[in-house]
Amino acid sequence: MKLPVEGWPEAAGQGRVGVVRRVVLLALRDLRLEVRDRAGLLSILAFFAVMLFIMALALGPEEEPLRRAAPGVLWVALAFGSTLLSTRAFALEVEEGTLDDLLLAPGGKEWIYFGKLLFQMLLLLPLAALALLMAAGLFYLPLERLFLLFLTLVLGVLGYASVATFYAGLLARLRGREVLLPLLLFSLVVPVVLASVRATTGLAEGLPVAEISDWWQLLLVFDVVYLTASALLFPVVMEG
Amino acid sequence: MLKVAQPDRPDALTWVFLGLGLLLLPVGLYLALSAPPDVNQGYLARIMYLHVPGAWLGYLAFFVTFLYSLLYLFRQDPRHDRVALASAEIGLVFMGLALVTGMLWARPTWGVYWTWEPRLTTTAILFAVYVGYFLLRGAIEDPELRRKAAAAVGILGFINVPISYMSVKWWRSLHQTQSIDLTTGKIHMDPAMLQALLFNLFVFTLLYLGFVRFRSLLAALEARKEEA
Repeated sequence: MKLPVEGWPEAAGQGRVGVVRRVVLLALRDLRLEVRDRAGLLSILAFFAVMLFIMALALGPEEEPLRRAAPGVLWVALAFGSTLLSTRAFALEVEEGTLDDLLLAPGGKEWIYFGKLLFQMLLLLPLAALALLMAAGLFYLPLERLFLLFLTLVLGVLGYASVATFYAGLLARLRGREVLLPLLLFSLVVPVVLASVRATTGLAEGLPVAEISDWWQLLLVFDVVYLTASALLFPVVMEG
Repeated sequence: MLKVAQPDRPDALTWVFLGLGLLLLPVGLYLALSAPPDVNQGYLARIMYLHVPGAWLGYLAFFVTFLYSLLYLFRQDPRHDRVALASAEIGLVFMGLALVTGMLWARPTWGVYWTWEPRLTTTAILFAVYVGYFLLRGAIEDPELRRKAAAAVGILGFINVPISYMSVKWWRSLHQTQSIDLTTGKIHMDPAMLQALLFNLFVFTLLYLGFVRFRSLLAALEARKEEA
């Protein structure tokens, strides 16, 4: 079923405003479908809970090892959990046969990428924040610098989602993509996960911001490069 | 004589590269083993004559993969994809050589084969990315999608090369910094050692060129068989 979207910006000639509206509309539509469906959201929440619980059981019950392991466990949970959702960016489009409609829309194709990326971010960020709270509860992860922790989450999730969205689009029509996508994503996002873990560890241990900023810079570099490269390559690989 | 579009055998240039490379390899080894020992590391430093060319050729090979992946995406010519594939494979071999020789050097120097310091970590990631490249290639049946997806990995994965190269400067790392610094052009090395190193580098480059040409031809033959 195709949802009627009111006020769909028509032609490419509408300039920047039209493109931004398209991106937002696409992201909100996908988000609405995802929230209505619930199955994906519930499964990833259950995954986080079970994974953090098992890790806490395996590493606990002393406070010190748990606290030390917290950043690593949090990001491993996030990396694995996000792969559960990464294929969903394009899965519905393929199922409903609407991917071609999107690709046939006049104007460039980058906006599809950005729309799907925005959708992934809107989906993953609240989940990541929840996972952070769970990790704080089960692993004694200190939350004093919540804003900086959240900044790390945003940078890390963006780096992850930029590659994940790109490959989800590229492999959208491929059978067995659920298996292939994580395999491929992990090797590419290892630097992102690594930098995120180090930054989170620094925050948890109470290091001064100056010492952690190296990792944020690295994260930012990866985000910018992955985002730019993906956005530039997306129209090329989606053609034909 | 008419030129065949897709030759069955390696051309003369390939044989020249391979032959010259194999011929000069013992000479390079002789130079490496007769080079003066290092002040601090003694004879152990000689592993550098394999380690440094291996790492450099690995970087170079991944750069070639990056270039030809870009070319493939914009020109859609399968030949470019085959060069990218060949270069990635040879790069993986050279990178593996650099990793193994590095470990052999690290054991007597640092006391451990492996430690999670920035240079080693980024190199391991780099290695993993290109292993992923081949996993991906093996997993996709449709040739066109396979080429596109692989090209994307070849491009996105390349970002790790400059990071791996610069890691010894950016983070205060355990791994020593470059003796030949490509970013500033400064050389911190005895001329006799430098000569041996450059000669080995030259030999490795010859071998790399030969291997890539040979492997691309093999890939072309494979593709022809697949089509037939």
